[in-house]
Amino acid sequence: MSSIETLYLTFLTTGFIVGFGHCIGMCGPIVVSFSLNLKTKGVMAPNLLYHVGRISTYAVLGGIMGATGSFTRITTGIGDLQKGAMIFAGLIIIVMGLGMSGWIPLGRIFGDYCRPEGIIARSFRKLSGIQSTAAFLPLGLVLGLLPCGPVYTALIAAAGLGMETQNTFNAVLAGMGLMAVFGIGTVPALLMVARLSGMGWLKSRDIIYKVSSILMIGVGIYFLIKGLRY
Amino acid sequence: MRSPSRNACLLSGLWIGAFFFFTIILPITAQATDHSKMINCDIHHGTCTQKLQGTDIILDISPKPVKAMTDLKFTITLTGKQGVSEPFIDLGMPGMKMGPNRVLLKSNGKGVYSGTGTIVRCPSGKRIWKAMVTVPDKGSVEFIFDVIY
Repeated sequence: MSSIETLYLTFLTTGFIVGFGHCIGMCGPIVVSFSLNLKTKGVMAPNLLYHVGRISTYAVLGGIMGATGSFTRITTGIGDLQKGAMIFAGLIIIVMGLGMSGWIPLGRIFGDYCRPEGIIARSFRKLSGIQSTAAFLPLGLVLGLLPCGPVYTALIAAAGLGMETQNTFNAVLAGMGLMAVFGIGTVPALLMVARLSGMGWLKSRDIIYKVSSILMIGVGIYFLIKGLRY
Repeated sequence: MRSPSRNACLLSGLWIGAFFFFTIILPITAQATDHSKMINCDIHHGTCTQKLQGTDIILDISPKPVKAMTDLKFTITLTGKQGVSEPFIDLGMPGMKMGPNRVLLKSNGKGVYSGTGTIVRCPSGKRIWKAMVTVPDKGSVEFIFDVIY
């Protein structure tokens, strides 16, 4: 087994292990929120698309790290994007929670009282009503930018791999491959969380919906504050 | 035998508890766990030394103060009898799996080894990091310190 293959295997395993620890704690709330917001639809296809988007972003970042061989230069450059992704994640969870709760008639407020074609009304409708399966791919692409310790660690390895590779094209491929296998490793844990939170009997229970929507709003505020302070 | 509605109530309660645990309790407790008592190295103000089988292992990180997400130079100085293989450093956080982040060191002669690496920023806000220095054939020691985000 070559050193690149060994590194891929190491990071696939790392992704799997951190998936069941770190990722469930950090990214689990996002996956749970998405799954609950899907209401009557199945959760697997949208979640798989979300992960395809997330892993694609990881792979692109890995390719850039591999090509440049510099972790710090790139992460400094995308710092504001990552902060934006964290704030976006917080906002989207809050809006989904508010939309789910039904206690505050935001839909009516934004639909009837405000200008229906205004940017706030349109954004609210789009964010609170993310139920189309295809919408989860761009969501994954954006939220793949969320700052995360294990992702950073994998990116350092991708940059290191790029420095060891003979030409730029191979460096890009090596970096992309490493980040892709790392991302794939994290999928089982997050799919398990999505599956548990998207069970049919659960979605039919009104009380769970009400309590979950409050928790979602709390989690969203937590993400928002973290993002603003990042 | 329990009625279906009682089972549903039980499952609902379990689910809400699990949701609450994973989304609220786990992130907060992970953040609140105090690892500062484990700190055994004031890396911002100088070098740190530990003993391993009669050998002094001196760690230095520059530039100071030590900041995350920047290129850092790690220097290890070994006193006494030298081994054949070069030491290396594994960076991580106490109580949190972050994946392998190894700093490979090259000999500068006279028991001094150096290499570059990066300490990453954890979005949880935790700032306590550990550098596990492994000297082949001798073992490992841990330097625990705080970094600036």
